[in-house]
Amino acid sequence: MPVVDLDRISKSYSNKAAVRELSLQIEPGTMFGLLGPNGAGKTSTIRMMVGMTLPDSGTVRLFDEPFRRDHLRRVGYLPEERGLYKRMKVIDQLVFMGQLHGLNAATARTRALEWCERMEIAESMDKKTQELSKGMQQKIQFIATLLHDPELIIMDEPSSGLDPVNVSLLEQILLELRSKGRTIMFSTHRMDQVEKLCDAICLVDQGRAVLEGTMRAVKSRYARNKVVVEYAGDASFLTDPSITELREFPGRAEFKLRNGADGQALLHAAARHAQIFKFELVEPSLEEIFIRTVGGKTDA
Amino acid sequence: MRDVLLIARREYLERVQSRAFLMMTILFPVMIGLLIGGSLFAGKLSSLGKNIAIASNDAVLAHQVAAEMESASTPAKAPEVVAPASDADRRALNRRVEDKTLDGYLWLEKKADSLVPEVNFVSRSAGDLFSARGMQSAVDNAVEREQFIKHGMSGAEIADMPRHVDIQTWQIRQGRLVPSNSLKSFFGAYAMMFLIYFTVVFYGMNVARSVVEEKTSRIFEVLLSTVEPQSLMAGKLLGVGAAGLTQMAIWLMLISAIVGASAGASLRTEGLTAYGIHPQQLFFLITYFLLGFFFYSAIAAAVGASVSSEQEIQQFSMVIVGPLTIGMVLITYIVSNPTALPVVLLSLFPPCAPIVMLLRISSQMPPAWQIALSMILMVLFIWGAVWVASRIYRVGILMYGKRATLPEMLRWMRYS
Repeated sequence: MPVVDLDRISKSYSNKAAVRELSLQIEPGTMFGLLGPNGAGKTSTIRMMVGMTLPDSGTVRLFDEPFRRDHLRRVGYLPEERGLYKRMKVIDQLVFMGQLHGLNAATARTRALEWCERMEIAESMDKKTQELSKGMQQKIQFIATLLHDPELIIMDEPSSGLDPVNVSLLEQILLELRSKGRTIMFSTHRMDQVEKLCDAICLVDQGRAVLEGTMRAVKSRYARNKVVVEYAGDASFLTDPSITELREFPGRAEFKLRNGADGQALLHAAARHAQIFKFELVEPSLEEIFIRTVGGKTDA
Repeated sequence: MRDVLLIARREYLERVQSRAFLMMTILFPVMIGLLIGGSLFAGKLSSLGKNIAIASNDAVLAHQVAAEMESASTPAKAPEVVAPASDADRRALNRRVEDKTLDGYLWLEKKADSLVPEVNFVSRSAGDLFSARGMQSAVDNAVEREQFIKHGMSGAEIADMPRHVDIQTWQIRQGRLVPSNSLKSFFGAYAMMFLIYFTVVFYGMNVARSVVEEKTSRIFEVLLSTVEPQSLMAGKLLGVGAAGLTQMAIWLMLISAIVGASAGASLRTEGLTAYGIHPQQLFFLITYFLLGFFFYSAIAAAVGASVSSEQEIQQFSMVIVGPLTIGMVLITYIVSNPTALPVVLLSLFPPCAPIVMLLRISSQMPPAWQIALSMILMVLFIWGAVWVASRIYRVGILMYGKRATLPEMLRWMRYS
């Protein structure tokens, strides 16, 4: 049963529909990516998921139950707009956040110390937040989200503002958490991250879920019609009518197959004329799917 | 409830541990002390060492005025007497004033056709009020004394004559005559009004500021994902409020320690009753102060939730405490008509209750149910204000940027 189950939720602000009849499910122990262009309704969706706002229609279920505020004790939420108390010491801040999530002060302190070691900011524990760099503050917010060891982790743009080293640290930690059975959902613009980490995705555009499912299922919906060939010899097979958008390089060609074209037949034809080192039907990247889905829609 | 206390604790500690709090806590009483000490010192200075002469064509009058002035001045200093004085003496005195060997002189001229002498005071400075006031009563007393003597009274008889009568005022309370002092009984209510007024302006606005700060630092969304907005608001109110009350308590202690020597003595002998405050009233004073404080702070919180910058709060600070001035404007009407219907209604109306009910209590004890009702209404209003504030806060922060219009705010109430 899904940890998160959104059933046709909608939300409008001042006559502008932010989310329209959006449904999605997140299975336990998986990493889920919420994708979409700016203003697509990702943050509005996440806010309804954590009860920050209520949907105008539709239902939100967490942990297989209709949403209740006390579910949030089991959720770690990192909002997109995040801040810290500027004049508070890092350790006090983390203990406070831990306590709000139901931990006692001693446990919160122990865990905060462990996490700070892990995130390499242990030496800043006694500094005030305003003395820290933005990246450091990001890490503290990240720790605050995870301190109470939530079953469900929801992060809105977790890697924005982090340098590549810290992004990879974050990814590593997310993967570890998943391997411990935690369910993770995050929104992002970074397709490479989603492709690398996520088991399932939902692509949102103009408030609607335009693409949803496991990564494999989503990709399989898009035909493998891009071909990369590496060859030596006669290149006349490249004039085949099934080929379009051809780009030629010395000993290499990239092209797309027209709809309904048979890749296997083309390979046989090519092999008759030239020596083929590589003939690959390339899977479309998520970025291509994103552009194709969202861009195509906008064009239409 | 745990959340409320956690939030309150954080807000309290952050404020109490700040350098600004420490500075204000120490500096304010020092400033007050300097102000009081300074004005006392200046007063002493202006009455000290004044070199004044008394000149008159009537030597008896001149000596009597001199004696009065000597007995009234501390330390006793006998003014120089020039009597009987001629026009030549007057010119000499003028010269002495000019070349600063004399600070001023009093010229008393007895006319044959009048009981009252013509009196002129000549000095270098234009408005030497301090010496003028002292001289006025000295001359009055001397002229009065002269008249009594003229009518055959002896000096001893005049000294024994009663000069001032106190009117003792009484109130009937539960069939018993209780001494009251109509002036003193206002004292508590007046003090109360200023106390609430200034604490709201100073500390109530802190609540608003702390709400705005949370909005601008964008920490609220993290908080709201664990804490209900009502708990957040209630916690802020309690924490910021407690910090303000702590500071006031420290000030009161420091000030009473500084002023202690004089005020302490009368407090020990007469207790607070010396200031028109009875133990029972003290209870009401504290209760209504706390209710009033939290009431206005809750409204300030709602204001903080609906604006987007600290500057905007300033515009509201005076408006918020507006209803308090109703009590001030109507004070004589309330005290003389404590049971009139408008007064009773005002004393139940939460924004006015702390002042008006307190004034009623100090002039004539209202029925217990009215006091209870006013307190219950205030508590309900505080709760309501917190609720409204938390709704505005929760929705307002999710679409921040511009200031909300009233229709928008009403719509926010319905949102969730």
